[in-house]
Amino acid sequence: MDFTLSSMKKDLLRWMQDPTGILLWIVLPLMIGGMTALLFGGGGGVKPHGVLLIADQDDSLISGLVAGAFSQGELGELISVEKVSVDAGTERINNGEASGFLIIPSGFGAAFFESTPVTLTLRTNPAQTILPGIITDVTEILLDAGFYAEQLFGPEIRAVRTADKKGAVDEVLVSSVAVAVQQKIDSAATRIFPPALDVVIVEPPPTEPAVPLGFLFLPGVILMGMMFAANGLAGDYWTERELGALRRIVFAPSRLMPFLVGKALAAGLVIATIGGLTLFVGFLYLGIAWHKLPASLLWVAVSGIALFAWFGALQMSSSSRRAGNLVTSMLLFPLLMIGGSFFPLASLPNWMAAFGRRTPNGFIADQLSSQITTAGAWSIGAQNWLIVLAVAASGLLVCAWRLQSGFARS
Amino acid sequence: MLVVENLIKQYGDLMAVDNISFEASQGTVFGLLGPNGAGKSTAINCISGLLKATSGRIRVAGFDVQKEGKKARKSLGVVPQELALYEDLPAIDNLRFWGKAYGMRGAELQSRVQDVLAHIGLGDRAGDLPKTFSGGMKRRLNFGCGIVHRPAVMLLDEPTVGVDPQSRERLFEMVEAERNNGTCVLYTTHYMEEAERLCDSVAIIDHGKLISQGTVAELRAQLGARDVLQLSGEFPQASTELAVKNLVESGLSDLEMISQEETSITLTLTSGSQHLPAIFSTLSDAGGKVSETNLRSPNLETLFLLLTGKELRE
Ligand SMILES: Nc1ncnc2c1ncn2[C@@H]1O[C@H](COP(=O)(O)OP(=O)(O)OP(=O)(O)O)[C@@H](O)[C@H]1O
Ligand SMILES: [Mg+2]
Repeated sequence: MDFTLSSMKKDLLRWMQDPTGILLWIVLPLMIGGMTALLFGGGGGVKPHGVLLIADQDDSLISGLVAGAFSQGELGELISVEKVSVDAGTERINNGEASGFLIIPSGFGAAFFESTPVTLTLRTNPAQTILPGIITDVTEILLDAGFYAEQLFGPEIRAVRTADKKGAVDEVLVSSVAVAVQQKIDSAATRIFPPALDVVIVEPPPTEPAVPLGFLFLPGVILMGMMFAANGLAGDYWTERELGALRRIVFAPSRLMPFLVGKALAAGLVIATIGGLTLFVGFLYLGIAWHKLPASLLWVAVSGIALFAWFGALQMSSSSRRAGNLVTSMLLFPLLMIGGSFFPLASLPNWMAAFGRRTPNGFIADQLSSQITTAGAWSIGAQNWLIVLAVAASGLLVCAWRLQSGFARS
Repeated sequence: MLVVENLIKQYGDLMAVDNISFEASQGTVFGLLGPNGAGKSTAINCISGLLKATSGRIRVAGFDVQKEGKKARKSLGVVPQELALYEDLPAIDNLRFWGKAYGMRGAELQSRVQDVLAHIGLGDRAGDLPKTFSGGMKRRLNFGCGIVHRPAVMLLDEPTVGVDPQSRERLFEMVEAERNNGTCVLYTTHYMEEAERLCDSVAIIDHGKLISQGTVAELRAQLGARDVLQLSGEFPQASTELAVKNLVESGLSDLEMISQEETSITLTLTSGSQHLPAIFSTLSDAGGKVSETNLRSPNLETLFLLLTGKELRE
């Protein structure tokens, strides 16, 4: 224990001699994250444009008007409507190929005129956030207001459109539109709409609360910093070897594990500091509840140790520092790309996002994302903590084995 | 204190250490002498546990390096041939860290670290980073890191390489201080004058083999009072051989030719300076030309030359 702490202290003292590297690991992700966030909403980048699938089983004048409402005016530029059969629509929404799928049952037109309750089915794409939210809102309004919606809510929809052109469709806007719409409905409903028009949206209930864009970027940006730091710090094994210090460790009677654990703790501390700063800024900026911070921070520290352990194992399994750096940087950037650091996982096609969640950093980011978006102070499941701890421990064991079997000896 | 029995270390076909045995006792400095590639570092690395010996037995302070590795390592202090320091960690923290690595702690460690700092003459640079140190200062700290835990046996692998004369003298004093404290020191070098100055006993190795062993006085005696005469120039082979034979017959009975090449020959004899004129005239009669003469009085260096027919250092 004593030697573990002393090993940790030694590395912290050493790394503090060169704070520029650490600073870089903080600044770089924020810069890249900021830039992609801009690009993402920007005119040249990915523009929120959704596909709404409609299966019109009623095929009446009224149902046609409901379907048409989506493709008219300002809304039409945000959402394109495709008429499909129920089967085709179900398949495509399951594959994540559309933002929403609306089924208008037969008898809708008649029910509308007779003011009897009718059930419409709207399914939204859980992988997307903003467009399904808009579609849900608009559908609800449509179902409440009938085909007057477009005329009635033109200004709000226009607001979404113009904001989109400026590249800033964000959660604030969407929710303010929703509030404005709600207010109009509240004030005008009793006068304009027949009160008996009672339409229900079922299956699924909006699966996901609309997650603000910043929330989507934060975990990826933090993971980028963590990955840079873990990779950079793992190169220190080479430095220690070049300094000859690893050989002295072999001469010494102490075991290698306390030495490695101490080093990993130091790395965890540095990574938690880097991630913690970004977390702090993110919490402040996005207004995330502070009681979610301790678990987020601990998650960052523990996963940081796991990443460091495996980057270290990779470095020590390489034949030279250059080879090690080549291997890790060949892994680093693709992992960051697929793991959601450049483009949030939620913005990727479903299959890609599913794959990204299985990368180490994607997994960590995904858990961190659920930690900061869902209610409760501790949202990461015990089994996920165990997974990360096991990964950290196995990485350190590989490091110990490599040290013993040759890395420290030459 | 340190017992090495039939140590063999093989790299493929190469016998880096070829069946070496020696014993070094408490409060003495034992020198391992040999030219580049003789196997000194290999032997030391087998003792320190850095390398696994192919065969043989090594005991440190009574503990078998293989079977009781941890206890043996605890009694060993190693000063590696290459510097092994955290250059970006203050000198005092280097010493503390290695003290901790050997299980020292608390007040004992703190006071020992202060002692070592004073001993290696770095008391006033304790808080500075070794990367700002001179080569000699780094060497001294490297030495300090090996003695923090008061080892019973010390391994020093060519500690004076690249060290200025002043730091070198300081290092000798530090080694002597350790010896006077009862430490058994194993010291490798290819400087014979270092061995003569520092070592109580010496083993000479070449190509991994032990070729001579004893106290410095014993080895000197083995050499006798013979000088070594090295001549460069032109020496036709057959006639030179004949000339040397003639010289022996004409009264220089202990004259011996150790090595012979077209451009240089090496001879040994007693009172070499008195016989130079006779040697020169006989050689030139035989068609030889002497362009350079080097006469050396007996020391360990010339002993090595006698034993192996070659210089210790090129
Ligand atoms: N890892 C290795 N693999 C193969 N051969 C080696 C290895 N290490 C050393 N040798 C060989 O073993 C022999 C002894 O080397 P060693 O380093 O012990 O010499 P030394 O006496 O310490 O020389 P120096 O005075 O130059 O330090 C040399 O021939 C060297 O080439
Ligand atoms: Mg050597």
